Amino acid sequence: MRFLVCIKQVPDSTTRVKVAADGKAIVTDGVTWSISPYDEYAIELALEHKDQAPDTVVSIISVGGPRTKDALRQALAMGCDDATIVGGDGADTLGPLGVANALAAAATELGPDLILCGKQASDDDQGFVGPALAEALGWPHVSQVTKIAPSAAGTEIWKETDGGHEVWKAGGPVVLTVQKSAKEPRYPSLPGIMKAKKKEIPERSVAGVDDPVKMVIVALEPPPSRGGGKIFKDGDTKAHAAELATLLRDEAKVL
Amino acid sequence: MTPPTSGIGAVVLLAVALLGFGAFAYRAVKLYRYLRLGWNEGRTEHLGRRVKDELVIYLLQRKLLKRPYLIRGLAHAFIFWGFIVITVGTTDLLLSGLVGLRMPGAESGFFVWAVDVFAALVLASIGLAFVRRLFFRPPRMHIALDGYIILGLIATLMASLLLFENAGLAGGLLAAHQTPPPLAQLLSLHYPAGLAAGVFAAAWWVHVVTVLGFAAYLPQSKHLHIVTTLPNVFFRSQRPRGALRFIDKIEEQETFGAASLRDLSWKQHLDGYTCTECGRCSDNCPALATGKALDPQKIVLDLRNLLLQEGDALLKDPTAAGTPPAHQFASKPEELWSCTTCAACVEQCPVTIEHIDKIVDMRRYLTMQEAAAPPEAQRAMTNIERAGNPWGEAAATRGDWADGLGVPTFAERPDAEYLYFVGCAASFDRRNQRVAKALATILQAAGTSFAILATEETCNGDPARRMGNEYLWQTQAQQNIETFSRYKVRKIIASCPHCFNTIANEYPQLGGSYEVVHALQLVQDLIEQKKIALGAGPAETVAYHDPCYLGRHNGIYEDPRAVLDAIDGVTRMEIEPHHRERGFCCGAGGGRMWMEEKVGQRMNHRRVEQIIDAGKARGGQPAKVASGCPFCLIMLDEGVGAKGIQESLKPVDVLELVAARVMRDGAPKGATMPKATL
Repeated sequence: MRFLVCIKQVPDSTTRVKVAADGKAIVTDGVTWSISPYDEYAIELALEHKDQAPDTVVSIISVGGPRTKDALRQALAMGCDDATIVGGDGADTLGPLGVANALAAAATELGPDLILCGKQASDDDQGFVGPALAEALGWPHVSQVTKIAPSAAGTEIWKETDGGHEVWKAGGPVVLTVQKSAKEPRYPSLPGIMKAKKKEIPERSVAGVDDPVKMVIVALEPPPSRGGGKIFKDGDTKAHAAELATLLRDEAKVL
Repeated sequence: MTPPTSGIGAVVLLAVALLGFGAFAYRAVKLYRYLRLGWNEGRTEHLGRRVKDELVIYLLQRKLLKRPYLIRGLAHAFIFWGFIVITVGTTDLLLSGLVGLRMPGAESGFFVWAVDVFAALVLASIGLAFVRRLFFRPPRMHIALDGYIILGLIATLMASLLLFENAGLAGGLLAAHQTPPPLAQLLSLHYPAGLAAGVFAAAWWVHVVTVLGFAAYLPQSKHLHIVTTLPNVFFRSQRPRGALRFIDKIEEQETFGAASLRDLSWKQHLDGYTCTECGRCSDNCPALATGKALDPQKIVLDLRNLLLQEGDALLKDPTAAGTPPAHQFASKPEELWSCTTCAACVEQCPVTIEHIDKIVDMRRYLTMQEAAAPPEAQRAMTNIERAGNPWGEAAATRGDWADGLGVPTFAERPDAEYLYFVGCAASFDRRNQRVAKALATILQAAGTSFAILATEETCNGDPARRMGNEYLWQTQAQQNIETFSRYKVRKIIASCPHCFNTIANEYPQLGGSYEVVHALQLVQDLIEQKKIALGAGPAETVAYHDPCYLGRHNGIYEDPRAVLDAIDGVTRMEIEPHHRERGFCCGAGGGRMWMEEKVGQRMNHRRVEQIIDAGKARGGQPAKVASGCPFCLIMLDEGVGAKGIQESLKPVDVLELVAARVMRDGAPKGATMPKATL
């Protein structure tokens, strides 16, 4: 069985993101880049299946500039079998539909039985590429996936719902967008890291990919800084309570 | 006395001797071949120190004579010294019995006296050992038949020795010029006419045959330590105790850590042969004491047993790897992950067994080879990789604690004398940021020239290394060393014992050698040289908690105490009996800071109970417990919080107590510090 996991490289969640001087991009100097967290869960889901069925092949793909290779190597180090980068001029600025089309073209050639994506990337939170990829391929799509059980007869899919889960079944190829699950993405073994360093990562060109909807960032601004908390000390408790209620209603607007 | 080995006797003696020594040699060769399955670690540097170790640890029995074990330690020392003297006597007996030769000096009055005195002392000590095993069984001691057999054999040896001496005297077998054995002479045994010579011969034979039986039994038993302790002490690690073994050219290795018995060094296997199963390591292990799966003695014995089980198969097939020691049992990984690397076991072991190295070698296999570290440990390692700290705090905020304090960065003041390596805890943990601020206050008051690296600093790598991730440690250490080189750093202050230990003892493995001090050592100097003056403060009792990586790992017991003693109003309290080299770990070492502690009692809770108990014993509770380690502080804070006594027993860092009283421009600087600090 062959899995294809589509990943995106994003600023690591521990990085403090700053808006660049032009107000339309982030400062990339000093940013640590890593695999988007939900994509890591998607990789883990595929690798868990590979642990059970060692003949499983897990391929990784990503669209982006040369730096994206680091994310792919990280996935290889975790235990994925091979990686493909869709790069070249314009790979960085492709719109989400363009990314889906680029992935669909690659997937058609790679011929996976199952495609996994994170449910959304942690940088722009669009959650668009996965479903769009399914659409471009003409495959079904299940979202919020936390567990899979592929077999020759089809794939059982656990889809998280409010307070529970549904079990779906796909008889053929399917695109799954993955939710955080109980099993944390694995830390790579050192032999894995060493092997990943030496692995060839073939590059496909992004040239000619249909990218019908261009997105332009008009403005970026950092979230407002959190104000200091207020502490009611000494004095009349009843008065404090009244003041608190007022503040919660008028300032915090939660009442 | 002429040995009763005329005629056929000498032939019988020769046959018995050959049998006894032959059995010994056969087993010894086998054990040696097993041992050589281990990789060939060089252990011959620092010859002078090794000779000194032999004198102090082996001959003077230094590590046996430790506080809680004084009486049994002395008993052992007498058996040991007696054994040395009597071995000369035994050699003399065998030589004279076989070929009629005497050992030089064997007939001297001094030697005859020595043999007798030690025979009596050994006999008394054996009696003590019997009584202890039968009636005062130490809880952690592994009591097995083996021990009784050995004690029985030694008792037989001593009793038969005194008996044949006495009978020989009674039978007039002593030549006129010979000194009579003094103690044997005192035994007033009466022999029926003509029987003395017979008793002499019988006791002599019992003695000699027991010696040879002992030789044959020795390598089958834990008593082998009488042979292996000599080399085990000689070849003990001469690395600083706090330094783990360096893996050179790690990127070129095929396997990582102890994938097989072959991946442990020969010395690790010699440790197994040398273990006397005395249980002192287990007795002092904080993990075992709080109900964890770990038992340090079992770590050593398991490896030895695995070697004895699989040794033949591994010798037969040079390509076989055998059972990975980290998976010897299903419970093994849990045992290994329970260790805080506190070194209580290493400190206590009388025969210098290296428990931590074994545990870390097996962790290295689990972490680097199998990627099977506990999930929380994996998370901490990912955080170190991505954010440069195990908590995953934003690296860009590392220097924020110093905002507005006038603490320069090296980029701002490249000529600073000292680098203050703040460490992750004091950089990111709010409680410990106050400790960093306290140190800055003290250094500023003393006029010490120092700077920090702020965002250019990254985790020293200690947690990763102790979680078995040597690779990540090397990456982190190299990054720091490059930064230090860029600023030509020569002197480093660390307020965290883990930073201190890894930079002082482990960075030299990567070529980074600096003059490293722990902040409390420096502050002690500043006080002594009167570079800081401390103002008056309220009278209070402060318990001192020894951090493992200051105390046991680096021998820094006195400086923090001297600092406490120099603070006006402070009465220092010792957390007896768990203090100094018997200090009890807070539970956060060895990377355990970032792992859940779900089994048994939490170590920090036990530690808080020990402080309370020590307070009760001296008739008054301390108001504070002071330490010199950010992890101890976090753990103690949690401990007193869980017990609801955070108001009556406040965990602090010694630095905070100093900073609150340090005088600046004639006024206590502490007066301007926020009240919440202390």
